Amino acid sequence: MNFLVNPSKFNEIADYIFKPILILSIVLFALGLLFALYLSPDDYQQGSTVRIMYVHVPSAWLSLLTYGIMTLYSIVALAFRIPFGFIFNTAVAPIGAVFTLICIVSGSLWGKPMWGTWWVWDARLTSVAILFIIYLIIIFMNFSFENRVVREKVVAIFILVGSVNLPIVKFSVDWWNTLHQPATISKLSKPSIDPSMMTPLIIMTFAFMMIGIAIAILRIKTEIISRKSYLS
Amino acid sequence: MIIVKDLSVERLNKKIFENINLSLTSGNITILKGKNGSGKTTLLKTILNIIEPSVGSIYWKGKLLKKNLYDFYSHITYIADKTSSLTKLTVKDNISIWSKIFLSNINNSQIETALKTLKLEDHLNQKVGTLSFGEIKKLEFLRLIIENKKVWFLDEPLSNLDEYSIELIKQTFEDHVAKEGSIIFSSHQNPGIYVTEEINL
Amino acid sequence: MKFLTKITFFFYREYKLNLSGVQDILTNIIFFFVSIFIFIFSIGPDKETISLIGIGILWTLLLLSSTLSLRKFYQDDFENGNLLIIHLNGFSYGFIAILKTLSHFIFVQIPFLLSIPIACILLNISNEKLIYVFTSFTIGSLILSCLGSISSSMNLMNQRNYLLGSVIVMIFSVPIIIFSVGIINLEENFYSLTNILFGILLIVFAINPWASGLCLKLSLENN
Repeated sequence: MNFLVNPSKFNEIADYIFKPILILSIVLFALGLLFALYLSPDDYQQGSTVRIMYVHVPSAWLSLLTYGIMTLYSIVALAFRIPFGFIFNTAVAPIGAVFTLICIVSGSLWGKPMWGTWWVWDARLTSVAILFIIYLIIIFMNFSFENRVVREKVVAIFILVGSVNLPIVKFSVDWWNTLHQPATISKLSKPSIDPSMMTPLIIMTFAFMMIGIAIAILRIKTEIISRKSYLS
Repeated sequence: MIIVKDLSVERLNKKIFENINLSLTSGNITILKGKNGSGKTTLLKTILNIIEPSVGSIYWKGKLLKKNLYDFYSHITYIADKTSSLTKLTVKDNISIWSKIFLSNINNSQIETALKTLKLEDHLNQKVGTLSFGEIKKLEFLRLIIENKKVWFLDEPLSNLDEYSIELIKQTFEDHVAKEGSIIFSSHQNPGIYVTEEINL
Repeated sequence: MKFLTKITFFFYREYKLNLSGVQDILTNIIFFFVSIFIFIFSIGPDKETISLIGIGILWTLLLLSSTLSLRKFYQDDFENGNLLIIHLNGFSYGFIAILKTLSHFIFVQIPFLLSIPIACILLNISNEKLIYVFTSFTIGSLILSCLGSISSSMNLMNQRNYLLGSVIVMIFSVPIIIFSVGIINLEENFYSLTNILFGILLIVFAINPWASGLCLKLSLENN
């Protein structure tokens, strides 16, 4: 597991696994689209619009997952002085922002036919919007500091402080009675979703994840190279 | 009192200085010499434990500096190359703030004589922002007398001063060393002050 | 004992500093009142509407005007090296953060709190609600001071993008606004919501010395 914290090891492994991941992501995405658009049934209430879920839910999960991993890397980087955490944060923040944006836009498109409005001020939507703005602030911070050492540490501290938003996003539908439907899939209880819809959802989630990992590998490698040239 | 062993500092993976060894006992004056950007201020700040060294250790009274940091801080005065006086306030207010926050046991007449020797007594009710650069710098040296500490850390104390003030500072240094105090200061020129240790960066 | 004296004199220093810049604080308050006028003119002087959304206006403007003075939080002391001297005088970075937060609360936020009754008259908020307004604003502005300390210490070395500090404060103050407006509007929930707000205050107050102290240390180290 050393490659998760060591830049040179990471480069070795990344060269090795990049192409398989790329191919896997294309295959999974094609398969997922096939399932999502043709092989899954319509919802008896929502009709065909339920298919937006296969984009909306995976991107929502991954936006939270990305932030969670960034938080972990910030702790590791600050506590154990491992610079790879800072590299990871700089490289991955835009990916998380894009996932959040996809989640917001697809949710908005889903909300118009279902709730009759593009946007409502309910707890889940607001907290996801805040998550998006936090991602944007992280990206802007990466541009506005002259000194690299200060920049990466301050960004890591900001990520840690901003991580209080994660549980709010996750549990907002359980804590407050809002318009957004509660989570249909959770580990503790039996999922309230039909297997025929479950399959494309899982496939799409893995497809999104693989695409995210592929882009992340490219971005982390670029970041490592740009640092090396900065040092010499 | 202060012993520095094999100190090296890196910033952004660029070496600033390497393998600095120095020891400062009471009654000593140490000078750090070097060109602009050679790391004099960095070395001073490293000894003050503001910058973390990449290699090496610093000892204060035989113990690691980090272990009794605040005891160390209660024995030093640091004067940076920037002026720390509050430009919006008058000279008088600045002096009263300093003598309060440093818990100074110095009395008013001592401060007055110091002001007279520094030729600042006419500007007592003037805002610091309206003084000339050299005068602000001289006002800064008043902190040495107000704080009344044993070890002085001075960053470029002699730049921007006229001959009279430089003479005055030499005199102050000699008095301080005679009182078993010790001084470490940086300079890019040859000051003509008797020093016991010279470190070239 | 010596330490307590030092703390007292730290506040003496802050008092002197803020007294010399008292016109800045007064300008902040004038900004607050002029913004109220502009709000009222832009929605029309209808009494019912104003008393309905008055609390919201009050909170928004308090937030905006207290972010105006954010840059003064550490920036002046950082640039002229006083932060370093205070640290060398025996205060750890985290403790400096606590002291500065308290001093910001006392010298910047309390003048706002004192001007709130006048603002309440202007916005047609009834006298019975004044006690709720005061409770929520006192706790809320302490939280705002803590958030201000965190964000302005983060942006000490940020030379390009000054507005980022205000954005950080505003984004984290969303839950505070939700709960403190709730205190005033839902009087039957007064105690539970006050407790939640107080809990947030304690959390932020605990994070503040850690986060600000680390940022101060970083900035001084790399200055």
